[in-house]
Amino acid sequence: MMNPIKNIEINPLNASQSLGAAIFFLGLENAVVLMHGAVGCASFDKVTLTKHFRENIPIVTTALNESGAILGGDDFLISGINNVYEKMKPDFIGVTSSGLTETNGEDIESIISDFKEKQASTFPSVIYAGTPDYKGGFEDGYVQAMSALLKEFSLKKSKKYKSKKIKSVNVFCPPFFTPQDFLELREVLDYFNLKPIMIPDLGLSLDGHLDEGGYLQTTGGGLSVEDAEDIGRSEFNIVIGLSLKSIEGIIEETTGLKTYYFPNICGIENSDKFFRFLSNLTDKEIPEKYKKQRKQLMDVYLDAHFYFSGKDIAVALGIDLLDSFSTIYSEIGANLKIGISTKYDDDVKLRFSNFYKGDLDLLGAFGKINLIVSNTNAKFYAKKLDIPLLRAGLPIIDEIGHNLKHYILYRGAANLVVESANLLNEE
Amino acid sequence: MGAIIAKEEYFDEPTCEHNNVAKDKKACKTAVPGSSTGGCALDGAYIVLSPIKDALNVVHAPINCLGNSYSQRTSVADKSEDYYMYGFTTAINENDLIFGSEGKLKQGIIYAYDRFKPKGIFIYNTCVPALTGEDIEGVSKELTERLEIPVVPILSQGFSGNKNLGNKIAGDALFTHIIGESEPDDIDLLSNYNVNLIGEYNIRGELFLIKKALKSVGVNVLSTITGDSTIGEIMYSHKAGLNVVVCSKALVYLARKMKEKFGIPYIEGSFFGMSSTNKSIMDIVNSIGDHELIANAKKYVKVRTKNTEENIYEYKRFLAGKKVLLYTGGVKSWSLISALNDLGLRVIATGVKKSTDEDKLRIKEFDENGNIIMLDNGNPINLIKIARENEADIMLAGGRNQYTAIKSLIPFLDVNQERLNPYTSYEGMEFLAKRIYFEIKNPLFKLLRKTNINL
Repeated sequence: MMNPIKNIEINPLNASQSLGAAIFFLGLENAVVLMHGAVGCASFDKVTLTKHFRENIPIVTTALNESGAILGGDDFLISGINNVYEKMKPDFIGVTSSGLTETNGEDIESIISDFKEKQASTFPSVIYAGTPDYKGGFEDGYVQAMSALLKEFSLKKSKKYKSKKIKSVNVFCPPFFTPQDFLELREVLDYFNLKPIMIPDLGLSLDGHLDEGGYLQTTGGGLSVEDAEDIGRSEFNIVIGLSLKSIEGIIEETTGLKTYYFPNICGIENSDKFFRFLSNLTDKEIPEKYKKQRKQLMDVYLDAHFYFSGKDIAVALGIDLLDSFSTIYSEIGANLKIGISTKYDDDVKLRFSNFYKGDLDLLGAFGKINLIVSNTNAKFYAKKLDIPLLRAGLPIIDEIGHNLKHYILYRGAANLVVESANLLNEE
Repeated sequence: MGAIIAKEEYFDEPTCEHNNVAKDKKACKTAVPGSSTGGCALDGAYIVLSPIKDALNVVHAPINCLGNSYSQRTSVADKSEDYYMYGFTTAINENDLIFGSEGKLKQGIIYAYDRFKPKGIFIYNTCVPALTGEDIEGVSKELTERLEIPVVPILSQGFSGNKNLGNKIAGDALFTHIIGESEPDDIDLLSNYNVNLIGEYNIRGELFLIKKALKSVGVNVLSTITGDSTIGEIMYSHKAGLNVVVCSKALVYLARKMKEKFGIPYIEGSFFGMSSTNKSIMDIVNSIGDHELIANAKKYVKVRTKNTEENIYEYKRFLAGKKVLLYTGGVKSWSLISALNDLGLRVIATGVKKSTDEDKLRIKEFDENGNIIMLDNGNPINLIKIARENEADIMLAGGRNQYTAIKSLIPFLDVNQERLNPYTSYEGMEFLAKRIYFEIKNPLFKLLRKTNINL
């Protein structure tokens, strides 16, 4: 057993708030992320996301130097915003902060709001998320960015008045949805004749498509300004994800819309709940396609469950994915020996024999396991224990195609169970 | 604030053209707000030190500095545990900011030491603890005494400067705390034919190929700074007869300091491509000056050149006259041109953003047709424009530009950190030829150009 107070993280699972906020901003259309900090703050995030998504990632830096760090960096921030505007002409500039800029005590929020007051109405939307990396983690930064977007847009109304024949619905999506998860969910809502405004929408920006324009300087898709301006006009809100629990109230309050919350939409029971919800709300029958997928999932569960028998699984992921995946694994009766995450959650904890908020090094602390489910950084432990690693979460840099995978709803559960069973079978 | 300002000395670089203009000295390290730039000093220092395979790298920082960037290096190590690839961080939190985190840092390092028993530990200081004034040097000193291994402070806070500065800071730390600290056990190592390779990180095993070639002519690599190296071998690197700085402007700084203190002469060299490999081998043996060694080397170089020419003959026939856009940093802006010339490729442009006057002169030396465009602007849009206007057959650059190229349906090969094969020495020449050949020849680009009508 390891020393519980080791005071050092060995192969951390946690990632910074700024990375979480950046991911959120990258789900907006024609957006650029401006990170306020030293060049490295942006560079580490940009390199990781470029390798993970295998796409150009529009993250730039305010390039704070010694004098900016010590004497204050507001000039760097303002000229950063102006230069991004001049060079890239984005619709959104998502600004994040860093431990550096928060430690030297700058009031970035008011610097930005003063700046915005002086700009013409045609200036891009500058959205600021305070993301010091000595506090919280990836999920918190993502939620910060979501709140900032809401604050900016919930009161706006788009100029174009749209016909209301098709009802739009706001879908607040959790961190760690794969781009394909977004696309699958959009398709489901389409089947129910709902026009989804996905907040954010990585399915349109980072799904890995070759744009007709070739190389793009900003995000090539995502939640558009026009749709963001329509958030307040939607029929209702759907909020998905454990990490978004904390902001559910704020979403309901700022939009003034009825809000429905789902911790996750993974596995057969939660998928049933979600489809029944949509069916009741729209008064439409669940489409044949999904009824069929449900039957297929039940069959996959039966086919696959043999492979899980007597096998121990370790899952080290952000809390949203840990919740989603453990829901599916619990349905099939898999033995969840180790759960490692970046946050605590009492319900999720109960599904694991051992549950810790901590680093990937805990993977090596509980003896024999048969499968690790985590990001690329868990490769050391998979290699050492000579067991397979099912790559999920972020970063995944040693495997391609993750943008095409999805784990939500019936088909997603089937995907996870099939991939896991095949790896266990190889082991 | 003394400790958090980078040493003036780091900016005194006789080989840099900006050196004689006082106001320009720090200009080499400034970046424009709102641009996308490379890494910071921490990144640069980590690149230099993390290949040392029996040392731990502890980043004293909040989570962003290490949290999502460790384990991505492609340096290879022979026969070792993989803990040198692990990411260690104190993950400074709000409490640490208020109450200080030197105690936490100490405890954390002691835990890691007990567990892994490394031969050395590097503690990287970063922006936040530098601003709050933590005494990393004091902690290092105390732990060096307690653990009886070198625990070395690396003052690499990112706001001090870029990657290049970080390389120098790392080099300086090795010079101050490691180099010269022990003598080799094996007396045979003390021959006249011992050299150190400085700035070679063994990406995809490139060092192994260089060592193999040098061994064949009778030259022994005593220490490598730092690919596949150990703390021990760097400690006795001052016993070498010659330092060879491989493709690194920043670490010339270290070679110069070793020359001043230990009297070790140094030369610069490159092992990219056949001509460069031949030249570097001959430069090394000529510097050593032993006649038999020189004769051996001449013979070896001739044989290997002939073999390699035979092995790449088919590729060269196809590649002759094909056009390359090269965009990479500093030294590689010319060292790779030589390799591409060996293959009969035509370099239409090369990036010179990070190159010195000296680098530019060398580009001209290798410019066979006298018309290589010197690219100051590495903006992706500009790169695509140059490639299209000049009908480049392939772009060679770093991973950062991979998607610039392939999204524009321009064939691409990564020649930086993420390269998939070793490109040094004679074997590397064959890999490079093969990779470029298959990339240009691939029908995929033609197919996609046809189907993607807007391009």
